Amino acid sequence: MSIFEYNGSAIVAMVGKNCFAIASDRRLGVNLQTVATDFQRIFKIHDKLFVGLSGLGSDAQTLYQRLVFRHKLYQLREERDMKPETFASLVSAILYEKRFGPYFCQPVIAGLGNDDKPFICTMDFIGAKELAKDFVVAGSASESLYGACEALFKPDMEPDELSEVVSQALLASVDRDCLSGWGGHIYIVTPDEVREKILKGRMD
Amino acid sequence: MDLILLSRNLSLPKIMKFDTSGLESTASVFGTAGNELVDGFSAAPAFELPTTTDFDGFQKEAVQMVKPAKGTTTLAFIFKDGVIVAADSRASMGGYISSQSVKKIIEINPYMLGTMAGGAADCQFWHRNLGIKCRLHELTNKRRISVTGASKLLANILFSYRGMGLSVGTMIAGWDETGPGLYYVDSEGGRLKGTRFSVGSGSPYAYGVLDSGYRADMSIEEAAELGRRAIYHATFRDGASGGVASVYYVGPDGWKKLSGDDVSELHYKYYPVVSTEAPEPDRMVEA
Repeated sequence: MSIFEYNGSAIVAMVGKNCFAIASDRRLGVNLQTVATDFQRIFKIHDKLFVGLSGLGSDAQTLYQRLVFRHKLYQLREERDMKPETFASLVSAILYEKRFGPYFCQPVIAGLGNDDKPFICTMDFIGAKELAKDFVVAGSASESLYGACEALFKPDMEPDELSEVVSQALLASVDRDCLSGWGGHIYIVTPDEVREKILKGRMD
Repeated sequence: MDLILLSRNLSLPKIMKFDTSGLESTASVFGTAGNELVDGFSAAPAFELPTTTDFDGFQKEAVQMVKPAKGTTTLAFIFKDGVIVAADSRASMGGYISSQSVKKIIEINPYMLGTMAGGAADCQFWHRNLGIKCRLHELTNKRRISVTGASKLLANILFSYRGMGLSVGTMIAGWDETGPGLYYVDSEGGRLKGTRFSVGSGSPYAYGVLDSGYRADMSIEEAAELGRRAIYHATFRDGASGGVASVYYVGPDGWKKLSGDDVSELHYKYYPVVSTEAPEPDRMVEA
């Protein structure tokens, strides 16, 4: 099993009507052994921008600290929050800086841009951006996630239906992966509020 | 003698000879002209071997690729009333879960059970083969085979295939005239008699629970619960174990399946969700 599957992870972000949802599993493992069942992989950059980092856990935490640092500097200089599209370019540049000694992370970026239009994108571990209009997935369970999301996705879903769809897609996919699961963590973000939920999943 | 000479001279088709295949103890299931089986306790059925000088290295890479890691948790222990056998039900291929409903406790005959760890095909085939041999023993000797004898039959067969890529880590549990019996047999050719075993990638976690909770004088329900708990804890920590925790009991009247509980339901039964307003106490906090 590769370095990307050393800790095990599953992240999905999906677009709804003027809202988005981003969800992850909660397991941290060392190969097959489960070490923690409350590991955080989705981080808030500001109220309308979240980033999920799949792959090696230690690189996810370090990369998050660097991104928060860069965003705080941006806030001081520009006196406003970063737009999601700009943030995606920043992440891509930071990852490519380490082209020959990379962070073993696959980020998933989700935010509300101008006029609260939802924006999601993912990139590979050296910063190749992939924009999508419907959903993006990452992690050791990514293949199962693609299948589940493709089957359950509908355009322009309201926040309640979106949260249901993302939860079901995540739980169904991690139940087919030895290295991710043990619960779920989902954020549903609308222009007015951020709802955070812990999902009850299979603990095997 | 004259008959044979006659047939050779005149190129007659094969002469009649006594059909002794009914007396052979193992039918030739392997396709080769069944002539390698001489007596009642058969030698291993022979497969064609490749012609190579480096037999150990031959196709080693391919064999290693096929050789599945023993991703499973099975356990068995003897207590005062008999034997408890328990296992999970997950089959995994690397990181992918291929099934959550595999039967890992194999019923060899009504009073003997075998567990499956390692290659599923290997375990299923050789346990069924063992069942056949046990039945034939009963028919030729008019008495049931002992657990000692059955485990020895299997161990000898696996030893003869040593190095050829079989992956079998099994426990043979049963009840015979001497009482409860438990043996561990593996594809390296090892055979151990014991009172407590656990096999598979989840076995360290199961041993922890089993060793600390074991008492020889448990009742059947207590022993079953110990086995169930041990499997549950292994499925929680080990990624390659999961699904359903099955528990069987082997007693003087044979084996009986006691329970098959989904481990996720066991988790919420042992650790019910308590709704609180406060955030979780042992959350990993960012430094």
